[in-house]
Amino acid sequence: MSLARIFQENPERRYIMFGGKGGLGKTTFSAATGYWLAQQGYKVLVFSVDPQASLSDIFQQDIFGKGPVEIMPNLFAQEVDADRRIREYQEEIRQKILDMYGLEKVPDEIEDYIQAAAAEPAMEESAIFDQVVDIVLSGEYDYYIYDLVPLGHALYYLSMASVYDQWIEKITKLREEMQEYAQVAALLQREDELEEDKILAELQDIRYRISTSSSILTDREKTAFFFVLVPEEMVLVDTLKAAELFAKYQVPISGYIVNRVLPPELEEQDIPEYLRHRIEMQKKYLAEIDRLFGDQVLARIPEFERDVTGLDMIRRMAEAMFGGAA
Amino acid sequence: MAERASKGKLRSLLDSVKSVLYGMAGHDMARFALKTRGSMEHLFILITMGDLLGIPILPPYYSLRLLPYVVPQISTWKRRMLRERDLTDALA
Repeated sequence: MSLARIFQENPERRYIMFGGKGGLGKTTFSAATGYWLAQQGYKVLVFSVDPQASLSDIFQQDIFGKGPVEIMPNLFAQEVDADRRIREYQEEIRQKILDMYGLEKVPDEIEDYIQAAAAEPAMEESAIFDQVVDIVLSGEYDYYIYDLVPLGHALYYLSMASVYDQWIEKITKLREEMQEYAQVAALLQREDELEEDKILAELQDIRYRISTSSSILTDREKTAFFFVLVPEEMVLVDTLKAAELFAKYQVPISGYIVNRVLPPELEEQDIPEYLRHRIEMQKKYLAEIDRLFGDQVLARIPEFERDVTGLDMIRRMAEAMFGGAA
Repeated sequence: MAERASKGKLRSLLDSVKSVLYGMAGHDMARFALKTRGSMEHLFILITMGDLLGIPILPPYYSLRLLPYVVPQISTWKRRMLRERDLTDALA
């Protein structure tokens, strides 16, 4: 099974994710996949949820916090600036308080809380999460490519969705119960119209956002998740562990891509012992990878002679991943 | 004319009867419902804005979205949460 066929046979899989340990080439693959799809006329957004995002580096353009930036026709890239998002969000909240109550200034106590909340450890991740929900719900693109954070964070991100969902569900229930009591009182006092509970409406909206976003992540029909690995023992062990965990969160794994494979034809040339050993070592783990994942291994990407940055190199990478016909 | 006046009288009489009945039976129930709702409101603020009292709350990001709606209740809520309690509370 080739990588290109996965895309051709499953045109409804519009959410593409590459996961794996740090530094294995997730960003490179995201960019190259975006390039390949854009070449075929699809409108593609590659976006990063990593606070130390590297899309700017690979596209050789500063896109951090600038919203979707057009890299070439049909290909857009976006890096979420969590800090800025938090600041804007705080400002929105302040403005809402001022507007709602016609105040000149946010009360000190409330202001303290707004500032303290922004310093909470989960705030940054939550802000990114929320921004991703915005991006995904907008539905402007044919393909969304998530340049995921390294494994541990990706799992945290996924579990966050389920924790949020439970929290929101509990307090929504409480809120609904409160509304029932208010209704009883209104009925007894013969008030015709009960004021709509705005908090309940907000909660329902938050819930909708979270569940839509997490259902996309785990939707076998719409999502393709690819694991990136290199032929080395530690990476292999970690990938196996992660694959197990991801399966627990029902993330649909579409296949594995092996990166940084030293070209085997090098062996026939006069090469130093050092390189020969590396090739031998890779051979051993490549066999192991084939044994473990079988036909789920979709591509073996060779180690390039230079790093992949800039559109020319991205094009070469796309050819290596999907074959020449773009 | 006279008919309309008598209808008006009848209505006001009916309203009075309704009010008396409400006072006898409904008022206490309504008061109880509102009081329960009030308690729940404070519980709700506690589990969403607990950080204001130093009780850590799970996702602060979404709490902030609810903050504007509870601003007027914050001070009564804090007073209620932090005040000392005694036996007479049970009678209230």
